Parts: sequence; structure tokens; C-alpha cells
Amino acid sequence: MKMNGISKTLAAGIAGAVLLAVPLAAAEEIYVPNLSYRTGPFAATGIPLMNGQRDYIEMLNARDGGVNGVKIVYDECETGYNTNKGVECYEKTKGKAIVTQPWSTGITLQVLPRTNVDKIPILAPGYGFSPMSDGDVFAWAYNPPSSYWDAASMILNHISDGDLDKLKGQKIALLHLDHPYGKEPIPLIEAMAEKHGFTFLPIPVGLKEMQNQSAQWLQVRREKPDYVVMWGWGAMNAGAITEAVKTRFPMDKFVGVWWSGYDGDLKAVGDKGKGYRSISWNVPGDYPVLADVKKHVVDAGNSLLENADDMNTVFYQRGLVISMILVEGIKEAQEHFDTKAVTAEQLRWGLENLNIDEARLEALGMAGMTAPFATACDNHTGHGGGWMLEWDGTQFVKASEHIMPDRAAIEPLEKAKAEEYAKNNAPWPDRSALPCGN
Amino acid sequence: MLYRTAGQFKTSYQSDQALFPVRQDAFLLIFFLLLAYVVFPLTASEFTFKALLVPVLIYSLASLGLNILTGYAGQLSLGTAGFMGVGAYACYKITTIFPELNFVIALALSGFFSAAIGVAFGLPSLRIKGFYLAIATLAAQFFLVWLFEKWSWLYNDNASGAIEVRTMDMFGLTVTGPTASPVVQYYFVLVAVTVVFWLSINLTRGRYGRMWKAVRDMDIAAELVGINLMRAKLTAFAVSSYIVGIAGALMVFLWKGAAEPNLFDIPLSFQILFIAIIGGLGSILGNFLGAILIVALPVIINLIPGMLGLSVNVATLEHINVMIIGALIVTFLIVEPHGLARFWAVIREKLVIWPFPH
Repeated sequence: MKMNGISKTLAAGIAGAVLLAVPLAAAEEIYVPNLSYRTGPFAATGIPLMNGQRDYIEMLNARDGGVNGVKIVYDECETGYNTNKGVECYEKTKGKAIVTQPWSTGITLQVLPRTNVDKIPILAPGYGFSPMSDGDVFAWAYNPPSSYWDAASMILNHISDGDLDKLKGQKIALLHLDHPYGKEPIPLIEAMAEKHGFTFLPIPVGLKEMQNQSAQWLQVRREKPDYVVMWGWGAMNAGAITEAVKTRFPMDKFVGVWWSGYDGDLKAVGDKGKGYRSISWNVPGDYPVLADVKKHVVDAGNSLLENADDMNTVFYQRGLVISMILVEGIKEAQEHFDTKAVTAEQLRWGLENLNIDEARLEALGMAGMTAPFATACDNHTGHGGGWMLEWDGTQFVKASEHIMPDRAAIEPLEKAKAEEYAKNNAPWPDRSALPCGN
Repeated sequence: MLYRTAGQFKTSYQSDQALFPVRQDAFLLIFFLLLAYVVFPLTASEFTFKALLVPVLIYSLASLGLNILTGYAGQLSLGTAGFMGVGAYACYKITTIFPELNFVIALALSGFFSAAIGVAFGLPSLRIKGFYLAIATLAAQFFLVWLFEKWSWLYNDNASGAIEVRTMDMFGLTVTGPTASPVVQYYFVLVAVTVVFWLSINLTRGRYGRMWKAVRDMDIAAELVGINLMRAKLTAFAVSSYIVGIAGALMVFLWKGAAEPNLFDIPLSFQILFIAIIGGLGSILGNFLGAILIVALPVIINLIPGMLGLSVNVATLEHINVMIIGALIVTFLIVEPHGLARFWAVIREKLVIWPFPH
């Protein structure tokens, strides 16, 4: 019981320390935690994204001394994609945090109901629940610039050349991770299949089967779908792509969501992956902002990047875009509330009134890097659309014009699912405490 | 000296059979109960409640359930997480079908579902033993997680396939959901854990406990002295799964607030098995010691650099953390293969005869 005593005293001591630590936060700093995963089964895809997020903020701190003179303190809390660690990290950071970046659907699920109570906005760019777009229900949650349902709709639009009725009689398989994230597009594709008369075939990949998908690809060979759409993450992407190469599945019939477009996964197959496409809301390239990041962070030795060449990857640049969205939210809030160190509640307003247009992107040195979008009270996603990227054997290149999702078809579904969520989590507060527009 | 047992005479059978025949043990228990019931609620922050105290209590409860099966009745099980899941999903279904029902009743009822499933998967234990039984329970583990994913009725056809906890009140206090205060949740878990532990201590010292131990030590001999093996093994599975199921329900409803099926996957089973083994199989105290080592210590180690003002790369810290915990586990198992509870027992024995060892 000696052990017992020591750790309990320690626990009590820490309790005291944590209580003390909160009011000590300096006034002229903005604390931005990130629930990162640089370890665990999804680390390979997590690391480049988190490096990008971190480097953009470090670049602003080094180049401009933060945002409008306020330093941004970027802090990572390691979750390893584990929901238990997610609780720990959320509780640890929420005292000072102005934003929660949960980085996992499971952790989002746990944190989402807390947002109304703790009054800290969730920023989940390109992930999280698609119905989060409905700002009337999810006052505190944001998933700009595009949701998963947007992604599914954009992919369908692209493969049908904009006319979904062309898909009539075809068979579309969804190779997805058997997990809340992978199941996300199913309701939308199901609805589309019914409306436009194509056959929808979901093929789940269990978390334990990610690296060995022979059973799933056997099914693909047997069913001969016209297209395979992939909703994969981490080790599942590499597994699927190598298996597709092995079974000689035509790569131009294989399309992934934006999280399935990781350079590292395709480098492993190189030329054989030529023609694989992935929808994306950022286009890799050489943008002015990259030069600043390189000069102020990478060359200054402040980056966690192991190789400066990795700056050209899709995921690293997506990380930059994610932090850009957050920082633009901070700027909006600073301007509107005429303050420097914005609070979580002010940032919520900022994220709701984002207007990232061409001119803004140009000014940031990011013109063409991501699609322009604007959020609003009832639109927490922005729905900026995106582009199709194609693997040319060595890198991802833009392979389409700007694609937009079919919002008219998605919106009713979003409303219905958002309502359902509110009902399941009753009593869910309405927006009477947070009227739109001010 | 501090632990002198001399002069503590037992003058009746009742006092001889007391839970804590040595007065100092009772004092220690009172001390820790005071700590848990009075000091922690007064001093702890929200972080301490949510990341340290509540998880330790819930994990030690789950470990107690496993310990009854493995430590007392000798039936190895790798299906703990699956049974926790049954408890959690049962509680979810009960609270959504009967929203008016008091949460305590829902919790108590959900344990019966996991007990029933536990008994069903415990049936093979009548024919197979040891590692073979472990594989049979492993099948339960895989099957149950698969069921949680595929049977959409279980999660009310929720699009994300996860279960979400709504806000529930009890006697005017909010117990579950985002608005529940951490202190209330902590007290709820603490009371539940205290009650179950108290019942279990008495159970393991009574008729059934002795039956289980006899079966564990040598089942043929136990059968020869007239113990009904079927009854002994199946009651162990029932009681164990009941406790484990309650722990699962508490985990989702009073700690995490939402759960996806793969939460109840095999890593959780292993984690609880480690807690039971490192804490000490066949001991009650060990469940707490094991949970503190496996659940709370990593959280505390993660905090240390921040407290010292060092900035360490989070990934590095995580790796160091895993190494430290791993090294500690190996060290403890070398120093005392029978677990931390036995380690404490040795210390206590030395204290009793100190300063005059024979």
C-alpha cells in the first residue's frame, strides 16, 4: 500500500498544480492545442498533417510575431488515436484552450456534447460528422471546407461527368474502414443510389484486416464493380492500394476520399499506382506561403520535418491549410470583438463568419492551394468543393476542374441527421443563447 | 512497531472472522476511504476526476470482475472487454427504451445481460480448461465486437454506429451527459465500486468463494469432496460477467459519454488482464494497485515534464512513457511474480515483526 499512498499523494498534488496552473496563463497569448497522433497505428498519416499544422503557426510566430501581435502557442497532446487518451488530453488542455482539434471521429463523438457546456469550439477540417454543417444544431462545431458527404457527392459527380443518371445500372463499391469514420458516407451514397438507379455495394474493412485485405479484394473481383470508392485511413490505404495493384484492378476506376490520398502510400507502388485518383480540397504545389514556411521554420531548424522535401506532399500542405483556417477564424474574431487575445467564445463567432475568398488566399500566399469558401450561421462547413488529384507515378497532380458537391441533395439529409443527433443526446440546447449575426 | 499485532486478542468467533482482524488494517482502510470520499472530492480538479480517479475506479472494477473468474475460480478469460460491451450496450438499450427508469436500476439490470452472455460463453469451461478455455473466450470477444458493429438495433440505427449518452437525472442531480458535474459522477462511480467490492469481498470469503478456490486449486479433488463443478464454474462466470458488465456501463455512461464498438476490442481485454495479473490474481486489493500502475501512472508521467517546465516532443514523451511503464511491469513481476498485492503482503508481514525478526 506504500505504492498506493505515494501515487495518491502525487495525484492530489497534481490536482492542486492543475488548479493553480490555469489562472497563470499569460494574457497576451492564444493557446491552441492539437490532439495529435504521432504514435500508434495511424501515425504515418498523422505526422505530416500535424507537422503542417504546427509549421504554419510557427511561421506566423516567427514572421509576424503571431497574429496581429499576439503569439499563438501551439501545443500538441498525444492521443495515439486512442479515445481514452482523447478524454485525458481534452481535460488537460481545456482550461486555456480556445479550440479543440480532436483529429478522430471517436474523440469528436466524446467531445461534441461537451462543447455546449465548456463553450470551446471544435474545429475538424474535412472530418467529423457531416451533419455538423448544420450550425443551427451544432453551434460549436465546424468542419470546413468540405464534409464527407460533400466528398462522396463530388466523387460521384466526377465519375459521372456531372450527370449522375449516367451511373444508372452501374455498380459502385465503397471500400471503407469499418469504423464511424468509414461508415460516414454510406447514408448519402445509399440515397443517391436509390435516386439515380445505380447499385451500391459497401465493403467494410475491419480494423484488424487493414493490412490484409485479400478477402475484400476477392469480393471486388467477384462483384466486378464499375468503380471502387475508398474511405480508408492509416494502414488501410496502403493495404488497399497494394492489393489493387496485385489483383490488377484498373487504377482509373479506383477513387479515394481526401484522407486516402497520401503520397507515402502510393510511393510504395510507384508507377503501378498511376491513375489512382483522390478527391481533395487542397492542391499540392509551389505556393508563396511555402517559401515563408521554409525560410522561417524549416531552415531555421524549428520544424519537426525530417526531410525538407516532404513539404511538397499533399498532407503536409493540407496541414498548413488547416491551421490557416483556424488562424483566419482568430483574425475574424479579433477584428469583430476588437481584442487581441480572443477567447473560445469569440473564436466560435470568428469561425462562423469566415470568408476565405480568392483575394484573401492571394494575400496569404495560398491562391489556388485550397478552394475559397465562406461559413455562415447555418453553414458551418462552407462547402468549398475541391479537385480530383491523380497519382502520376511520382506525385499527386491536379486532374480536374473545380468540382462542387450536389448541395441540394445533401442538405435535407444533413438536417435530418442533425436533428436525430440532437434527439439522441437530449436535452440538446437550441441556439436561443447564441443568436446568429452577433 | 506501527503494525504490532500483539495484544489484539480475539474473544469471540465473530471477531475472529472479522473482515480485518488486525486493527491497523482497518485503520488503513478507513484512511483510504476518507481520502476517496472526503479529501479527493474537496481537492481534485476536473482533470483529476476525469483522467485519473474515475478511470482508476472503473478499471479496478472491471479487473475485480476478471479476478473473480480467473483469480478465484481459475478460469482464464480473454473476453472481458466483450462482456463490458454487453453491459454498456444493454444499459444503452434499457435507458433508451425506458427513458423514465432510474439510472441505478438500469445499471443494475444491464449487469444481468452480461451475466447471461457470460454464462453462455462459460459453458465450454465445463469441458475444456486453461489455454483452450482462453481461446473459447477469445471467440466470445471477437463475436461480441462483431455483433456491436453489425447489429444496428443495438445502437438504434445511429448513422455513425456509436452509442451516445443522453442526460439523465437522479434525485435532482445530473448523473450522465455533458452537464453532469465531475464530482457527482465521481461519487456515483465511487459508491458503485464500494458496494460491489464490499459484496465481492464477502462473496469470496463465503461458501461460493471457497467453492471457486477449491475448483481453481484442483477441480478433480473439488468434485470428489462433493462440489458441483458446473455450478461453481457457471456462478463464477455469472458473477464475474455481471461485475464486468457494470464496469462497462459505467465506463460509457459516467466517463466517456460516447462509445464506438472497437472500444471493446481485444486491447481492452488485455489491459484488464494485465491489471489483474500485475495487481495480483486472487486478491481484492490488487485490482486497485494494478489499475493505478496501468491506468493512472501513464497519465501522471505525461504531466511531469509540463510541471518541471521542460518541453518534450509529445511523441517522444509517449514513447518514453511506454518504456517506463513496461520496465516497471517487468521489474514488479521479477521482484514479486504474484503481483503487487503480494508485494504489499510481504511488506506488511515484515512490518508486523519489525524490529525483531525471528
